[in-house]
Amino acid sequence: MKAEKAVAVGRQLKRKQFTPLPYILLIPTMVFLVVFTFYPLVNCIRLTFYATDSIGRPGAFVGLRIWKKVLNSDEFHRSIVNTLKYASSIGIGTFTLAMLLAYMSTKNVKGSKVYQTMFALPIALASAPIAAIMTYVFSKYGIFNAITGSSKIWLSGKTLFPTVVFIVIWANSGSSFIYLLVGFRNVPLELLECADLDGASPFTKFFKIYLPIASPQVFFVIFLNILSAFKSFAMIRILVGTGDSELAVLIVKLYDYAFVRERYETGCVYALILSLVIFLVSRIQFVVEKKVVFYQ
Amino acid sequence: MSKLVIKHKTKEKIGVAIKIIIGLMFVSPIFIGLVFSFVPDEELYALPTFRTIVDNFSVNNYIKVFKTLPIFSYIKTSLVMCAIVIVAQVVISSLSAYAFAFFKFPAKNLLFTLVLIAMMVPGQVVTITNFLTIRRMGLLNTYLGLTLVSFAGGRSLFMFRQSYMSLPYEMKEAATVDGCSELRYLFQFAIPLSLPSISSISIMLFIGEFNAYLWPLLVSRKPQMYTIQIGMAQMIGSDAIPNYGRMMAVAMLSLIIPIIVFIIGEDYLIAGMTRGAVKG
Repeated sequence: MKAEKAVAVGRQLKRKQFTPLPYILLIPTMVFLVVFTFYPLVNCIRLTFYATDSIGRPGAFVGLRIWKKVLNSDEFHRSIVNTLKYASSIGIGTFTLAMLLAYMSTKNVKGSKVYQTMFALPIALASAPIAAIMTYVFSKYGIFNAITGSSKIWLSGKTLFPTVVFIVIWANSGSSFIYLLVGFRNVPLELLECADLDGASPFTKFFKIYLPIASPQVFFVIFLNILSAFKSFAMIRILVGTGDSELAVLIVKLYDYAFVRERYETGCVYALILSLVIFLVSRIQFVVEKKVVFYQ
Repeated sequence: MSKLVIKHKTKEKIGVAIKIIIGLMFVSPIFIGLVFSFVPDEELYALPTFRTIVDNFSVNNYIKVFKTLPIFSYIKTSLVMCAIVIVAQVVISSLSAYAFAFFKFPAKNLLFTLVLIAMMVPGQVVTITNFLTIRRMGLLNTYLGLTLVSFAGGRSLFMFRQSYMSLPYEMKEAATVDGCSELRYLFQFAIPLSLPSISSISIMLFIGEFNAYLWPLLVSRKPQMYTIQIGMAQMIGSDAIPNYGRMMAVAMLSLIIPIIVFIIGEDYLIAGMTRGAVKG
């Protein structure tokens, strides 16, 4: 009797009977993805072919006119150049800083948690308060000038771009530090012992052991920072504003057109170009990763 | 021999001390903000010296800030927004992930691919049209407007799925043989055993939402519904003569909660960040 029951249950386990339960469980996720990801994406594409009114309703169909207008405009070309310049500066800068900090923290010793937490702390810091502190630090009578003895207003003119990049690099470095630290700590101990026996310098160890073994993380972090630079909006808006400047990158133009001038269709064009750029860079990441990255 | 060990130990301790000093320099902007939040605005219109700080030390900035700005209302809005997003995403993702982890059903791959595609769509790209939707729904200046677009999250769904799939298959089998229904297994075993993932997701979402800027900037138009980030940002550059001291005070008030959450939840946050982020 018992055996029969067990067999029956066993059959029941094996049989793929239809149940609506998985669909019911998936309904909320799918509804929200459709309403707030897929529909807006399609709608964004659609709006670029219409002249929209001030509340974003499509009016007359204008075909490719808005696309042509944007693609032929000087400010668009400038924003592309700005974006590439900004993203590569942030990508390289953040990676370099995070790598130095992570290499410094590789050894897990007593007390290392203290500086590890400090190096990772920027993860928790929002753009607005950092911008508030930094506008003071780099102002005419700020602490930076008090230390260096200069009297520049750093967040203006020629020093604007490097100062903003410097601030963003610092603010972005926390998560990169964590990823690289995980990569560096993956390095097998016996490998390092061998290197020590052979008398390898810290320099050699870094380039011949740490970097190759942590190459998945190194690679990930470089692209993570480039991609997050495409989306970095808060710091630029608060420190610089959304007007024309060296920091008028694509996302700033998107905001400026859609939410300052209420030209939603032009904003949507910038949004789609931004996503195209992000998509292309992700593709490059995918392709290059297969060629360069070394997996253990 | 023992001398060598001692020498090695001291060397290590000196190394740690040096690194802590570098760490303090690294986070020094926070200390600068903290120190100058106690210096009156008027004193900051000339280059500060050590004496400026010592002689004028006062809590006046904080008193002024509390009198003139609804700081607690800002913080409350931020916290409520975080709470709604965390609860919604944990509930929705924990249920949906179960379908992907334990069921085989028609169109499963298609739906899974849809989730993957949705994760690849950058949030900023749908911001404009989502804003139009939220405004048409009349949800500007409401909590729902602030949070509705973040109810479903591909990332949390993935973390739940991974957590469910790491549960031993024998446990599921044994439960089924004993007559445990799918839903009961989900609520009584799978979700409670995913507590580490829930903690990681919650802390990541908390820091992300508390520090969010663009979306609250669009949705919260009334000062009563400002989050702390918007309240903070409005202070910067709004006056002809900036009130640096008061700005620092607000900055400190807006940093304190995420910093505490970060220090307490660091391990969970790192686990959440690194789990499945990088292959290898």
